Amino acid sequence: MPFLDISSVSKSYGTQGVLENINLSIEEGEFVVFVGPSGCGKSTLLRMISGLETISSGTIAIEGKVVNDIEPAARGTAMVFQSYALYPHMTIFGNVSFGLRMARNTKEFIASKVAQVAGILQLNKLLERRPGQLSGGQKQRVAIGRAIVREPRVFLFDEPLSNLDAELRVQMRAELMDLHRRLGTTMIYVTHDQVEAMTLADKMVVMSGGRVQQAGPPLTLYDDPDNRFVAGFVGSPKMNFLPVKTVEPASGGVQLSGIAGNGTAFLPLEAPGLIGPIEIGLRPEHIRILPASGSEAGLFLEGRVTLIEELGSESFVHLDLDDGTRMTVRAGRDADLSAPTLRLAIDLSHALLFGIDGDRIRSQSGPRA
Amino acid sequence: MTVVTTRPTIWTVLKWALAILIALIALFPIWWMVNVVFSMPGEPVSLNPRLWPTSLSAGIEKIRVIFTETEYLRAYGISLIYAVLTIAGVLTFGSLAAFEFSLFDFPGRRILFGIILLSLMVPTAVTIIPTYLLTSQLGWLNTMHGLVVPGLASAFGLFMLVQFMRAVPKDMIEAARLDGASHFQIYWHIALPLCRNAMVTLAILTFMQTWGNYMWPLIVSSKPQLYTVGQVVGLFNSPLSHQTVDMVMTANLLAAIPPLLFFLIFQRKIVEGVAMSGTKG
Ligand SMILES: Nc1ncnc2c1ncn2[C@@H]1O[C@H](COP(=O)(O)OP(=O)(O)OP(=O)(O)O)[C@@H](O)[C@H]1O
Ligand SMILES: [Mg+2]
Repeated sequence: MPFLDISSVSKSYGTQGVLENINLSIEEGEFVVFVGPSGCGKSTLLRMISGLETISSGTIAIEGKVVNDIEPAARGTAMVFQSYALYPHMTIFGNVSFGLRMARNTKEFIASKVAQVAGILQLNKLLERRPGQLSGGQKQRVAIGRAIVREPRVFLFDEPLSNLDAELRVQMRAELMDLHRRLGTTMIYVTHDQVEAMTLADKMVVMSGGRVQQAGPPLTLYDDPDNRFVAGFVGSPKMNFLPVKTVEPASGGVQLSGIAGNGTAFLPLEAPGLIGPIEIGLRPEHIRILPASGSEAGLFLEGRVTLIEELGSESFVHLDLDDGTRMTVRAGRDADLSAPTLRLAIDLSHALLFGIDGDRIRSQSGPRA
Repeated sequence: MTVVTTRPTIWTVLKWALAILIALIALFPIWWMVNVVFSMPGEPVSLNPRLWPTSLSAGIEKIRVIFTETEYLRAYGISLIYAVLTIAGVLTFGSLAAFEFSLFDFPGRRILFGIILLSLMVPTAVTIIPTYLLTSQLGWLNTMHGLVVPGLASAFGLFMLVQFMRAVPKDMIEAARLDGASHFQIYWHIALPLCRNAMVTLAILTFMQTWGNYMWPLIVSSKPQLYTVGQVVGLFNSPLSHQTVDMVMTANLLAAIPPLLFFLIFQRKIVEGVAMSGTKG
């Protein structure tokens, strides 16, 4: 039985549905990240787990016990808010100890608990200050301390780092990973930053339009997405999508034609009944820039360079193909990018196919299309 | 901070002149009162106005006489109890109701709040007779609770506190809920401290209002034992009073002192409170 089980959960405000039939199981100690575009329902789902939001239908169970009707504080969850939500009129000690004081613990117990947490988060010197006298990163640590001190079964984070500047965000991210390793507690983390999601997650849950699009280890989602949304959302820069006009069965595979204009290619894919139009998904690193002259076998495309992003070790080249399709290609330091148009070679062994409904078309014989 | 000094323009001079003029007009009656009180009995007061008091001891003697030989001291006590009980009630009921109205949703919330706001617009003169009848039917005439209870729920106070509590972030309330605070504990430990300034302001305004309230005490208590300062001063002022002008002035001055003191002590809080209403807790 999973540690935290979300089963057929839906949520609607009046007639407006926000979450639809969410099924998700989370193991003890896992670091789970909910990621998705703004308004897709991540916060709502998190708040339903915490108990701050009611569940319209379905059940949420923690350690086998359905918690739908259990008070937030009794669920053993603790939450860190994007706004930190520290109590401005209390000292840091008062903030961290608030939950313990509400539970009527003894003074000695509270003091030792707070001291322990302050040690973990390096808050010792700040305990007598008030939230107004702290920096953003320090406030964030206090908010985490307030969650840790209650020794919850599940930590919930709602975009905790989005108010921090880029450098601090990277540092806090590392601290969070370290914290997770030390405490070993289940953590659920909401973000709409997919880089944050990739780096933190044991299990990444991509959401969109009130549904879970796919859940799994970040690299699985990167390499083997279930649909076009996940493929496009995970990875930066984004995956390229090439339109394909027709698909015809051929011996041992399918023949594609009308790829981004008039490209043709043979795919050794066991997919009887597959008909076009479809889309080919290709990561920027699976496209090669060819020297201006020379001929090789395979699928070639030609594109006009619109932008080159130099990142030092590598660069990303943005191109427009003849039919208007936009492409992003990764190039190494040694690539010659001086020409206004570039010839691209496409490695179809990494190509993913998507139907026009956005679903992934998988090979029926092998694991990869 | 750098201090930038600029030469005063004609406008600043005019503004200041006007402000000083208004202040003088407002202060003069009080100063005149002091003048009359602290002078020998029988010294002419109205014609040829004197601008300075002449005798400290004579004034102190008048105050002593008022406190020891009239009902004044008891009235002071009654007024004080009346004000303190009213303040306690207004703050308690106002903050409890404001907590619910501003931070939680419940059926009928908007309508109820609308009705309360509407009651702000009804003049006291309209409600005072029904209130009197109700109080009298309860048998509360000539009692302290008859005096206090009708003033306990203040629509204005509720409105003001709601404005303040609306500014308390929802996240903070939810954080407290997750921390295991009960509904009342959230009110007590989070909402109340966060609108402390508003509470102080409301307390001061309520004090001023109750202390200066003349009509209701007059109506509800006919027995001299329950007279408030306002009523006693009214007696001094009445045409049949056998008090001399300077004694009447002394009574007036003594009545004016508590609100003045209150205001001077809490002036900064009042300004802060009014300025901050609705922006932050
Ligand atoms: N109280 C509410 N009443 C009605 N609709 C709501 C309410 N709260 C949220 N919603 C709607 O539910 C949807 C999901 O909101 P949610 O806050 O969960 O999004 P999110 O994924 O966290 O977005 P973001 O990344 O911007 O924080 C949104 O379309 C929002 O408008
Ligand atoms: Mg959100």
